[in-house]
Amino acid sequence: MPDFSFLLVQFLNGLSQAMTLFLIAAGLSLIFGVLGILNFAHGSLYMLGAYFTFTVVRLFQEDAAAFWLAVLIAPVAVALVSGAIEWLLLRRLYAREHLYQLLFTYAIVLIISDFVKFAWGTDNLSVSRPAVLAGAVRLFTRYFATYDVFLLIAGPCIALGLWLLLTHTHWGKTIRAAAVDREMLAALGVNVPRLFTTVFVFGAWLGGLGGALAAPRASLYPGMDVEIIVESFIVVVIGGIGNLWGTVLGAFVLGQVNAFGILLLPRFAMVFIYALMAIVLITRPWGLLGKPLVQAR
Amino acid sequence: MDQRSRWWQGALLALAMGLALVWPSLFSEMSVFVATEILVMGLFAVAFNLMLGYAGMVSFGHAAYFGIGGYTVALLLKKAGASFALSLLAAPLLAAVAALIIGYFCIRLTAIYFSMLTLAFSQIVWAAAFKWYDFTGGDNGITRIPFPAWAMSYTAFYYFTLALVGVSLLVLYCLTVSPFGRVLQAIRENPERAEFIGINVRGYELLAFAISGFFSGLAGGLFTVLQRGVYPDFIFWTKSAEVILMAILGGIYTFFGPLLGAAVLIYLDKIVTEYTEYWSVILGVILLLLLFFFPGGLLGFVQRLRRSPAPRQ
Amino acid sequence: MRRLANLLWVIILLPLGYAASSLAQSEPIRIGVLYPLGGPAAIYSKPALVGHELARDEINAEGGVLGRPLEFLVRDTKVKPDVAVREARALVLKDRVDFLMGGLSSAVGLAISEVAREHRVLIVQPIPKSSAITEERGHRYVVRTASNTVIEGRAAAVLAAKNPQNRRIYTISLDYEYGHKVTEAFIEHLRRLNPAVEIVGQAWPRLGETQYTNFITAILEAQPDLVYSSLWGGHFVAFVKQANPLGYFQRLRHLNVAEAGSVEVCRTLGEEMPAGIISNAYDVPEFPDTPAHRRYVEAYTKRAPYASWGIQGYIATYFLAAAIEKAGTTDTEKVIDAFEGLTIDTPIGPQTIRAFDHQASRGQVWGVITCGGGDPPCKLDHVEYIGAEGLWNSVEEIKRLRAQSQ
Repeated sequence: MPDFSFLLVQFLNGLSQAMTLFLIAAGLSLIFGVLGILNFAHGSLYMLGAYFTFTVVRLFQEDAAAFWLAVLIAPVAVALVSGAIEWLLLRRLYAREHLYQLLFTYAIVLIISDFVKFAWGTDNLSVSRPAVLAGAVRLFTRYFATYDVFLLIAGPCIALGLWLLLTHTHWGKTIRAAAVDREMLAALGVNVPRLFTTVFVFGAWLGGLGGALAAPRASLYPGMDVEIIVESFIVVVIGGIGNLWGTVLGAFVLGQVNAFGILLLPRFAMVFIYALMAIVLITRPWGLLGKPLVQAR
Repeated sequence: MDQRSRWWQGALLALAMGLALVWPSLFSEMSVFVATEILVMGLFAVAFNLMLGYAGMVSFGHAAYFGIGGYTVALLLKKAGASFALSLLAAPLLAAVAALIIGYFCIRLTAIYFSMLTLAFSQIVWAAAFKWYDFTGGDNGITRIPFPAWAMSYTAFYYFTLALVGVSLLVLYCLTVSPFGRVLQAIRENPERAEFIGINVRGYELLAFAISGFFSGLAGGLFTVLQRGVYPDFIFWTKSAEVILMAILGGIYTFFGPLLGAAVLIYLDKIVTEYTEYWSVILGVILLLLLFFFPGGLLGFVQRLRRSPAPRQ
Repeated sequence: MRRLANLLWVIILLPLGYAASSLAQSEPIRIGVLYPLGGPAAIYSKPALVGHELARDEINAEGGVLGRPLEFLVRDTKVKPDVAVREARALVLKDRVDFLMGGLSSAVGLAISEVAREHRVLIVQPIPKSSAITEERGHRYVVRTASNTVIEGRAAAVLAAKNPQNRRIYTISLDYEYGHKVTEAFIEHLRRLNPAVEIVGQAWPRLGETQYTNFITAILEAQPDLVYSSLWGGHFVAFVKQANPLGYFQRLRHLNVAEAGSVEVCRTLGEEMPAGIISNAYDVPEFPDTPAHRRYVEAYTKRAPYASWGIQGYIATYFLAAAIEKAGTTDTEKVIDAFEGLTIDTPIGPQTIRAFDHQASRGQVWGVITCGGGDPPCKLDHVEYIGAEGLWNSVEEIKRLRAQSQ
């Protein structure tokens, strides 16, 4: 019988997985909630964040603070790239059907994947943990990686920061208003296109940050974008699209299902998450914490 | 539609059919194989578009029905020793049944939730095919399927596919111009209003789902014969993305658009792959061009040109 | 400026070279080469392709095969069976290639193997290891110069059995064809060598998994004597990065097949590469220390950073060339006959194609990861080559397997 500290460590493992998932899914959810765009390219932004992190760490490898510098720079670089994409191309499509916006983001996925292959090659790459976070902490009789402790602290801080940003700043309030009724907002004199740009860039920054923070525990390879995007969809759908705390809950659920599902029924882990998504959609289509759509059929 | 444009359409169709009939005697064996692939994927795309273009239902998981059709043919022939005809008949039927069951749950949802649920179900089907080694061969798929000798001949199978796809397209076309098709379009434009005038919206959507699944399954079955095997890859979500691309590329508000989209995408893939490994970026740029310059898809663009002088915005 | 001058030289010399070569040489032997050129699998196919091209250029510089140069037509499979089948058919029907080479992932390997069977074209597969390709689903038109899952799994068992303390075993492998086959072969052979062995747990992360801490915690919990892993490439890298902080490698003996000991992986992980684990690779630059191997490594390094998978493309190309030379013709049936029982000298020593199943006697190099600085800081050391002889399924066993799968 597994004892308490084993279960605790597994629980924390699931939780630290949830943190990176949350960061990526939060950007996806925000962009969907406000712009109404399902951003297929969000996984690619995550991948770019990780690869930029690799490059910055490589550039400053002598410096102990290289990783922290990368965490600062990489997401900003990703945000700049996505800002250019939004400003040059995407904003011309807002008036069009959702399907075309979706297709647009898919085209970006294809382009970025070849760009990564071209720029960084097809070899696996790896980013080292910063020295201070390289070890493990003792938990009763077991160990838990220090870097994961860092994620466990950083995750909730970012979630809280996001919440404060959305509820207590003018920008956040405008965003939430835009999610409900963008025409009204425009009528009130808000520059909606500029608001959309900032939301898209901010969402991309979150995706890039997810990539930067995930990089030290993962391997970087062309194709990591596709791996993450379906999982982030699942997180967003389970939690409720456009709902911040829903995304937190979705990431938590997925992390725990991964952590304990593999112990109980290892051979079915792959089916678990899709089945979970199907069940949530059938019983509560707007997600665990989302609100039902007003315009029901 | 005026008289002249109808005449044009008839002539174009007759030309296409004539070309399709003499294709094998004009071109090489490889072209016959590619043409067969285009026909099969074209049927898949048109069947898929019955939902997307006509009913406005965006399925992210159509590979499921395609794959179920494929696995049905492979398993019936290989494990049950069934006849070729029976297997190829069972493929669309089973796919339609699957579409009915999955559709029953999906049609209750709208917009993105609908798409997500179709995706979830298709990934479950994929996982089953991928993991059930004893039955589906797992990720190795199923090969060495005892097809009849004539089906192994490219030309014979081309004509067989041409006939089947031709009949299927005819049936689908009749459906789209029938009252059924009109109702679907009404639902696409405004589901609430359709409901108000007494249309059983969900019933029609489910029917469209099943019909679409039926022909997708047939396409999957034919694809399996053409590929001489079936693999879980045929069910993976990337296959669903492929068919969406084909439909949009060709034009989702036209009947034959998706067929054209399939032809262009397959042909392009084949050509580009010979010259560069950077196929994705080229496809991505093509999609961007399409989005910004030919938003109605290729066939939609042609139709708009013909209706010129185009009305100013 | 210098670059410009170089460019000028190329422009002047290129047509001359072409003219000279077209005069001197006759009709080339056309070979279709099928690999994924992007995605996670390209870490293997790209170096293999360099190996293929190195061999081709060496052979052509020596006057080709039967006086004819080798010509490659490289096509991207995108790791999709249907794309691979289309490309393979196009190579056979449209480009009229004489032979096919390549394949990566067991589904693609099997799919193009079927194209070869149908069109009676020979395919040489230097990478896919699923035993099914030459066993249950083997046929006359496929030759494998790669190792296979039976050979690899059993070789690992031999190494595991050397330490009698390895009784309680935990396995972790990806949940797909390769992972299952190679793990099955390991367990079955280890039980034969040491009946006291007990499998205390098995983990099956999915293909593409990025999160391993759950599995790692579970393995640490079970306290096995030995962990057997067949995680490859990026999977192994992620596993190591998540296992290292927990002191996993200090506390457990770990044996990792799937070429985790290759230079590519060592380079990726740098100082994070766990010292002390037993692993394998297709090739390491220092072993065997023979003139032939040194020459190969040097020639390869001139083209690209040394990578262990290059040798697979290199040997496959030389094998095909030798079979054509022996047959005295490019006629497929005669070349296949020539292949059966063919032995050639390679940079890693002699290799033989078994007549019955067309499986090469290819084993791998095995050793222990040792860290001592340099570039990369950790590498496979105390290396020995374990060949296929004595490990692979006997002809009788393969006959039985083929009969069963009918």
